[in-house]
Amino acid sequence: MEHARHVFRVLLVLLVLVIVVVVGRSFLIPRSFGMYGSYRFDNVAEQANARPPLHRGARSCADCHDDRSQALAKGSHARVSCEVCHAPLGTHVKDGDVVAKMAVDPSVRMCGYCHQKIEGRPDKFPQVAFEQHVEGGLGDRGCLDCHDPHSPKL
Amino acid sequence: MEETRKGTPASEATPAAPEPCGRREFIADAVRIGGGAFAILAGADALGAEPDKYDWDAHRWAYLIDTQKCIGCGSCVRACKAENGVPDGYFRTWVERYQVSPEASHVDSPNGGMHGFPAVKTAFEPTKAFFVPKLCNHCKETPCVQVCPVGASYRTRDGAILVDGERCIGCGYCVQACPYGSRFISPVTHTAEKCTWCYHRITKGMKPACVEVCPTSARQFGDMKREDDPVRLAIAHGRVNVLQPHLLTEPQAYYLNLDKEVR
Repeated sequence: MEHARHVFRVLLVLLVLVIVVVVGRSFLIPRSFGMYGSYRFDNVAEQANARPPLHRGARSCADCHDDRSQALAKGSHARVSCEVCHAPLGTHVKDGDVVAKMAVDPSVRMCGYCHQKIEGRPDKFPQVAFEQHVEGGLGDRGCLDCHDPHSPKL
Repeated sequence: MEETRKGTPASEATPAAPEPCGRREFIADAVRIGGGAFAILAGADALGAEPDKYDWDAHRWAYLIDTQKCIGCGSCVRACKAENGVPDGYFRTWVERYQVSPEASHVDSPNGGMHGFPAVKTAFEPTKAFFVPKLCNHCKETPCVQVCPVGASYRTRDGAILVDGERCIGCGYCVQACPYGSRFISPVTHTAEKCTWCYHRITKGMKPACVEVCPTSARQFGDMKREDDPVRLAIAHGRVNVLQPHLLTEPQAYYLNLDKEVR
């Protein structure tokens, strides 16, 4: 009978251990962990709602600036989204209200991102060697002094 | 109680007669740990809280890059930075320039291509030069998820590889495991960060910011579960390749006109 008490004690200790582990795990492991794999499923929704989309696409711009949008559609920049040259729409409009002036960089560098003649660009793509583009060099002149960015062909 | 979904381990708790509080807690905890019905309800709420109920089982996203169309303008890199608040000097997407001859090759990506590319003279005469946009390949069999010791990196059912910043301990194993260099430890959060395919956009029916602004459609994003999706059609019918196919990571970023020099 005395041996039976030893066995009982061991079993009791084991049981307590199991309870400690199971309860401990439930505190340490997040609620949605393991539902679809070894990750926290709640994070999927957190990522989906991580931040409001900043770029809203050219069609959103056309909601207010239909005239510009139509002018753009007729020119050779028709496939260039507004937000390529202008700042993302989310910096200009929030919840339907204008919160800041739309930023735009009118510099030669901005045009050069796409059109400066460098190694690597496809041959067919229109490229400009700025230093040879106009007689006597560009000087203080910018691209926009001659070209309309919405319809750049002269 | 909601039905457990397919593939989810279901654990049954036998309803017990009123018992002391500790025991009841014990059963409840056991259910939770088994990923049981309590967790299903809690999790379903999390995704159901969205306005138009995004169903991740209805999509499987894929990315397509045509290197012949890329003009190396860096609009994508700038858009990604702005959209995702990527810290300075780190990139979730970047553009590389290759200048190649049969004997030698030269690759550069100054500041990820964010501010364009300078005219560079190489020591050899390149016979071809081109740009290659890079980003996380969102591999099906990805090493980064396999090595994560805390279950912070995972693949969603719609095919995106994401990092749970709350669980990430910043050990950097995934950064080393990624053969494409797509991850970094953020100096702000000290956790692993990477391209999410703009998960906050694609779950709202929008395209990733880099695709949205690409002026030449060199970058495209599509849904493999839509029969008529242009990206699906291109992958199904075109000659596409992936980066480092010998690693068997099954990237979901596909490339058209990929040169052998590109890794």
